[in-house]
Amino acid sequence: MSLSTVRVMTPGCSQGGWRAVWRYRQLWRSLTLRNLRIKYQRSALGFVWTLLNPLLTVAVLATVFRYIVKVPLPHYVAFLLSGYFAWNFILQTLSAGTYVLAEHAQLSRSAPFPKEIPVLAAISSRLVEFALELGLVLLGLGLTHHHGIPSSVVWLPWLVAMQVLLAFGLLCPIASLSVYYRDVQHILPIALTLLFYASPVFYPARFVPEALQSVYLANPVAQLLTAYHVVLYDGQAPPLSLVATLTAASCGIAGVGYALFNRAQADIAEVV
Amino acid sequence: MPCSIEPKPTSPKSSDPALAIRCAAVTKRFHFYEHRTTSLREAFIRVARRKPLDIRRARFTLHDVSFDIAPGEALGIIGPNGSGKSTLLRLLAGIYAPTEGRIEVRGRTAAVIELGAGFHPELTGAENVDLYGAVMGLSPRELAERFDEIVAFAGLAEFIDTPIKYYSSGMQARLAFAVTVCVRPDILLIDEALAVGDQWFRERCLAHLTQFHGAGGTLVIVSHDMDTLSRLCGRAVWLERGSVRMAGPMADVRRAYEVSSP
Repeated sequence: MSLSTVRVMTPGCSQGGWRAVWRYRQLWRSLTLRNLRIKYQRSALGFVWTLLNPLLTVAVLATVFRYIVKVPLPHYVAFLLSGYFAWNFILQTLSAGTYVLAEHAQLSRSAPFPKEIPVLAAISSRLVEFALELGLVLLGLGLTHHHGIPSSVVWLPWLVAMQVLLAFGLLCPIASLSVYYRDVQHILPIALTLLFYASPVFYPARFVPEALQSVYLANPVAQLLTAYHVVLYDGQAPPLSLVATLTAASCGIAGVGYALFNRAQADIAEVV
Repeated sequence: MPCSIEPKPTSPKSSDPALAIRCAAVTKRFHFYEHRTTSLREAFIRVARRKPLDIRRARFTLHDVSFDIAPGEALGIIGPNGSGKSTLLRLLAGIYAPTEGRIEVRGRTAAVIELGAGFHPELTGAENVDLYGAVMGLSPRELAERFDEIVAFAGLAEFIDTPIKYYSSGMQARLAFAVTVCVRPDILLIDEALAVGDQWFRERCLAHLTQFHGAGGTLVIVSHDMDTLSRLCGRAVWLERGSVRMAGPMADVRRAYEVSSP
């Protein structure tokens, strides 16, 4: 902000917007580092603990669905690994939404920073962890399942981008609703559990009966995980129809979610 | 929608290009909630029964406040508790948006409302400077360049890598203030935040503010400390119950205010 520009504040305006986010990009970086530091501070095994939780869940799912329920899928563990960490990213990021604005309540009343920043920082700190997890998954799958790195990995950057857009679009309204309504933090885990069963986390999408396929695949998380399975488990490029619908759904949700967030933004400093 | 940023007008129009801050007929309304729906469950029930979600009354914290501040001026804002001083400062800082009216601010602004808001006790001094500097709007390059300066100003080089939960409150205040100083804003907005800290700290703050003002910075201070205000400010605005009761030279406003209060 130099002396050659004037900041004009009128009724209903907020401190948000992409220009403000760019100006406060250092805060985005600092908050991301802060989130990561607090999590791994004085933690002897650090990242290993973060990895252990999803790995243990995968182990339990593998045991139950391979040996007890006997899901007819070859290399079931590879199938689980190919999609689970993306699911875990969505799960962790959305769960953080219930406190991501409230934890900065005191700060919101003292400094005019765009409220997009804590939301973006929650996503980017989780993304750092996801990148490491994905690297390990690729290593594991490359060694045991594909015996090499499949060429379909070129689709990974697009997949991760869609994942981030989807998470952002869902996180924005959750975060702003949580400021106004106390019970979002209780409703969210229930919604996420339902989403877990409605998405191809521990079963492939093609197991869903033919008649229900179109309804099932209307769920963007189902589309995302299916795409991950095709790329990492089947080792193939995703079908163009899936690419189109997932891209449209992710961009659409990101746009709508952000628009809803923006409308509430001017009031958040007063309410939080 | 985001606040607009307009380029400096090349020809004098309705807004005088020489002003640092202009407040035009600013009104701020808050709501007093007799009932507020705080759960989605309740919201659904109330919508189904066609009852209102919130029952609230409007309260005007600020009413039709207008004033101008020229660059390099020091303005004091005084008034009894609850008169809207802090709200006014937060409006100038951009933390709140006005309900009516318009505020124009020219230049880089730093607001000192709560020293060290956002400090995380588990992180070290250095890590908190990183965070707090970013909160105050320092760019990555500026933060890197001024880090040593901040630590030197606070006098905490020895402890900068210790978690701040081990700092005394005075040390935390010094660190927060050091970051604010190194933002090098054009306009400094201060809201009674410097009342914390020991005598040494308050003297240091006063010295810095005097130097800041002397170098041409614009100051807006909300305070009850008349002596400090008299030393720093040339003009003052007296707020009472959200309206400007008097505005003028510091000495006159102070005398009138002190005469009126019991």
